Amino acid sequence: MNSLLAAGTSPEFALPSIEYRLISPILLVLGMAVISVLVEAFVPRAHRRVVQLVLTFSTLIVALILVVMLAGQRAVTAAGSLAVDGPALFMQGTLLVLALMAALLVAERGVDPAGDAFAARANALPGSIDEREFTKRGWLTTEVWCLFLFSVGGMMLFVTGTDLLILFVALEIMSLPLYLLAGIARRRRLLSQEAAMKYFLLGAFSSGFFLYGSALLYGFAGTVDLGGIADAITANAGQNGLLIAGTALIAVGLFFKVAAVPFHQWAPDVYQGSPTAITAFMASCVKVAAFGAMLRIMYVALGGVRWDWRPMFWVIAILTMFVGSIIALTQTDVKRMLAYSSVAHAGFLLIAVVATNEEGLAGAMFYLLAYGVATIGGFGVITLVRDSTGEATHLSSWAGLGKRSPWVAGAFAVFLLSFAGIPLTAGFIGKFAVFEAGVAGGAGWLVVAAVLASAIAVFFYGRVIVILLFSVPAADGPTVVVPSSFTAFAIAAGLSLTVVLGIIPQPFLDLAEKASIFVR
Amino acid sequence: MTASSVLAATSNSGAEIVFWVCATLAVIGAVGMILSKKPVHSALFVALTMINLAILYVALSAPFLGMVQIIVYTGAVMMLFVFVMMIVGVDASDSLIETIKGQRWAAIVLVLGFAAMLIGAIVNGLQGVPDPSLVAANAEYGGNLQGIAKIIFTDYVIAFEVTSALLIVAALGAMLLTHRERHTPKATQEERSKARFLRYAATSELPGNLPPAGTYARHNAIDTPALAPDGSTVPASVPGPLRERGNVRPVDVAAEVEVEEISEGKTVVAPINDEDGEQR
Amino acid sequence: MNELTPTTPSPIAATEETLLWFGHDPLWLVILKVVGIFVILVLVVLFTIWLERRVVGRMQQRIGPNRTGPFGLLQSLMDGFKLAFKEEIFPTAADKAVYIIAPILSVVPAYMAWAVIPFGPEVSIFGQATPLQLTDFPVAVLYILAIASIGIYGIVLAGWASGSTYPLLGGLRSSAQMISYEIAMGLSFVAVFLFAGTMSTSSIVNGQVDLWFGLLVLPSFLIYATAMIGETNRAPFDLPEAESELVGGFHTEYSTMKFALFFLAEYINMVTVSAVAVTLFLGGWRAPFPISMWSGANEGWFPMIWFFLKIFIFIFVFIWLRGTLPRFRYDQFMRFGWKVLIPISVLWILIIAIIRGVSDEYGLTATPLAITAGFILTVAVLWILGRNVKRRRVKNLAENTIPEKFKPNSGGFPVPPLPGQEYRPARRTVVADVGAATDAGTTSVSEEVRGG
Repeated sequence: MNSLLAAGTSPEFALPSIEYRLISPILLVLGMAVISVLVEAFVPRAHRRVVQLVLTFSTLIVALILVVMLAGQRAVTAAGSLAVDGPALFMQGTLLVLALMAALLVAERGVDPAGDAFAARANALPGSIDEREFTKRGWLTTEVWCLFLFSVGGMMLFVTGTDLLILFVALEIMSLPLYLLAGIARRRRLLSQEAAMKYFLLGAFSSGFFLYGSALLYGFAGTVDLGGIADAITANAGQNGLLIAGTALIAVGLFFKVAAVPFHQWAPDVYQGSPTAITAFMASCVKVAAFGAMLRIMYVALGGVRWDWRPMFWVIAILTMFVGSIIALTQTDVKRMLAYSSVAHAGFLLIAVVATNEEGLAGAMFYLLAYGVATIGGFGVITLVRDSTGEATHLSSWAGLGKRSPWVAGAFAVFLLSFAGIPLTAGFIGKFAVFEAGVAGGAGWLVVAAVLASAIAVFFYGRVIVILLFSVPAADGPTVVVPSSFTAFAIAAGLSLTVVLGIIPQPFLDLAEKASIFVR
Repeated sequence: MTASSVLAATSNSGAEIVFWVCATLAVIGAVGMILSKKPVHSALFVALTMINLAILYVALSAPFLGMVQIIVYTGAVMMLFVFVMMIVGVDASDSLIETIKGQRWAAIVLVLGFAAMLIGAIVNGLQGVPDPSLVAANAEYGGNLQGIAKIIFTDYVIAFEVTSALLIVAALGAMLLTHRERHTPKATQEERSKARFLRYAATSELPGNLPPAGTYARHNAIDTPALAPDGSTVPASVPGPLRERGNVRPVDVAAEVEVEEISEGKTVVAPINDEDGEQR
Repeated sequence: MNELTPTTPSPIAATEETLLWFGHDPLWLVILKVVGIFVILVLVVLFTIWLERRVVGRMQQRIGPNRTGPFGLLQSLMDGFKLAFKEEIFPTAADKAVYIIAPILSVVPAYMAWAVIPFGPEVSIFGQATPLQLTDFPVAVLYILAIASIGIYGIVLAGWASGSTYPLLGGLRSSAQMISYEIAMGLSFVAVFLFAGTMSTSSIVNGQVDLWFGLLVLPSFLIYATAMIGETNRAPFDLPEAESELVGGFHTEYSTMKFALFFLAEYINMVTVSAVAVTLFLGGWRAPFPISMWSGANEGWFPMIWFFLKIFIFIFVFIWLRGTLPRFRYDQFMRFGWKVLIPISVLWILIIAIIRGVSDEYGLTATPLAITAGFILTVAVLWILGRNVKRRRVKNLAENTIPEKFKPNSGGFPVPPLPGQEYRPARRTVVADVGAATDAGTTSVSEEVRGG
């Protein structure tokens, strides 16, 4: 009895050291997101939009500056749960740049006569008297800015986290706001709500896979730390059921997020139904964040068993590239076509994961940047082509757009060329870097398949460009709205980055290369 | 022999019984959740599973986790599920339509295959894994609670804190999708009362409650309109749907007949036929 | 119950040394305790029902049950028998399985919560030293909360399974109400945990030797006292069974023993929340101040007297409230829970955590700080609430000025006099008022048996 009592004094907790400087960008974004919720609560409705705009843009810019200042840091902090290293900082930077561009699209209020891209009140029934009343009063759903910031914060955490627990929390912080944002379009609200529902259900399902995989890996390694899992793999040579099953399930969870075939089914519907500005954000930033996490998990934790998971990734990559490219050929809706194009790009990016070498990591990071800027630019153009019911996304109504609005059509053509990987655009350099890494990583046949798939992709991008520039415009076709400087700036930035990354890619490639070592 | 060693010896067989009972019930709950046709039954089966899991946690020396599991999952999450199902009135017929042919069989085959694969993998992976009980971990910091506190506030402090961001998003999202803001202030009781009387002044629509069916009439059936003091009927006292369908019992006529009959000394207990000719 | 005790006591912190009392009982003693608790609860419930009817009767100037047994003490028992012998009724639309499970789900958790309630200190039963408490473990208070949250299912499912509208609405109301007030309830425990350093009930009682936590964390106690009334669906928070709106609420379609089980569960819950209040805030079985000077008051079987005395004070308050206060409106009630109780709880936890942190850091004693802060917060909140009510009253008065002269026919419509106006009765011929005399002679003996 006495011995039990004597043992009663519990040892003091050793508090973990957290280097706040290293995680300041993430803390800033998440902290400001919380403040923007308070803005929603306390600032009068008339001033909310302005306050939120200032808050969001200044947060993103300051966070970007902080990330740039941290360049070159390599450390694991916060009791081993966050790894601030080259890839993390590069991806955080990429995310912030893309988020800034997407935020410009979200901020646009000039193209829709009724207001911005979001429903006046998300809870008013579509077509109800309430909805008309809210619209008439010019109410805006300014909560989108809170959700936007939370999502960006989650993405930054997702590319930085280095244990499975924090990766899961980050995955949810990233996704949950997106499920909401997808469902609150101002136009075609039922379609938008359906998209949100699908995205939510399938996203929750995929999170379940990720969590199950994490649990199995924890069962295998006794830790959720990525480095610890790698150590456990080195210690236990030979196959282990928990390890294999855990790896497969985690990969499935991530395949959902990057929309790899056969886990891509949600993408077209969600891309089509969401407000286009949000689609741009989703298509670019989620892909960056999900690939960032996938590269970290596969390289750091599971690099030791790469011979076990590579065959699965081979199959998925080939399927993704071909299915994405071929189905994109048959699409008649521009947004759906870009959705399948993004599926195909996920396939190309998977080559970099399969490569499991530094070149692969660097190539993927460059590819993600190139793909992201072109995607935001492309969706930015889509917001401008409108008829009386909203955006005119049917491909037939885009026919001959080049004759009426050569600048807009030209910009869109450049983005498509970049997607297709035509030289002198960013997409070409990205693809080249990834293919090179694939060959170096022993995935030569995969690269051959990728080149074939690229050829198919070139065909369907080319078809759109032909329709856009050389066919006869329809008499009652859509008009191209002149946007406010928000969208104009976003498209211009996308265009110039696409061209600059295509013509002088070397500094960026060097940067990516320098940043391409994970710390554990 | 110390007290703890006795406990350790007795608890082993006890823990085994607890495991087999609770594990069986938990699996029954999980299977029942899928197989039951009514959503509320499914929710109850899930609650059963969760409670049994909680007991298993307690048996594995994680009492805090067990209790929190019940409070949070059974008490809050599942309760809200049940709540929503009751409000929305989800019905079995809503969910059991197969949109893709053969989907159910394909799903069953795939699920069984997946389950077999996972079980195989897990059984294979768990060979030689030591006792999962938390006794040793609990002893380290003087108790289960203290141990959990240590882990949450040191190793996983970031995960713990950013979870708050998740909760804020969830709350914000719920507000965004469901919280109805008013574009015009809600009419108070006083304002509504005033409006009622103004309407009365303008259209002579009665401001008070409508007379219930059957008032002053011979029958209190719901299709029998009330009689005003002057003997005329008050059609508004019969519910609208009945009036729409023309199911109003013509009592004023009947009343006059009865008055006549009474004054002539005839019987008054004659049955009244309604429109279908059915006797009541 | 046995599986809920920790299988092995880990090295125990100094604040939780009473946990060492537990886990040594032989099987016969465990069974004896279980049966003892069951019997005590049934007796307490029967007595409480009688007490309620008598007290409410007295408050309403009538007598209450006085025929069956001495002072009518056996009335509740007879009512129970009556219910047992009534005809079993199943509504056609009922979901039969759930309909039967619901009352059981309601009553079993009500009993289970008593497993961790301490009745007294260690005593000797047939030569075996054992505490007057079935069991205890490091998270016993959480266990009570968990069990309470299972008990809600009984009510919700009863409402749903009846297949009828009023019960459904009653069930939904009650679940919303209980979940909401459970949050405030759980938050009010946090301050106690912070000072007791444990969640085991016996240790919490042990921690109140010098000072009751009710005084130390006064706001928590008051919040708990409010929340416990909401949690038990008692007047003035008895919206789930508001007779004027919902007939009987969730148990409208229930009769016979199944109804009796709900009835039993409600009264046990009433006793349970009182017992928890006593245990956590009023020193548990410890003798109140002047008696506690006598050292024997806290030893042996005496503490059970203090314990039940304290519980019945709470029960009396329950009854008193029911006899005095009108029912809340549903939206007002929910607003009160979410916008008053919970924010104040959170604020108070913040204050108390800061006090604990600062006093630990600088080696101060937290007690006087906590008492002062608690007192200030209580007074401030009461003052703000009172001021708001007063303001509203003043505003109402300012908006509706009452003319001094009463016009019986203002606006062409006969109206009663407003406050402050004098009623001038119309002149009429005086007739000997026969009716009034007979009215005064009859006492209304109508009495309701409160349901569920």
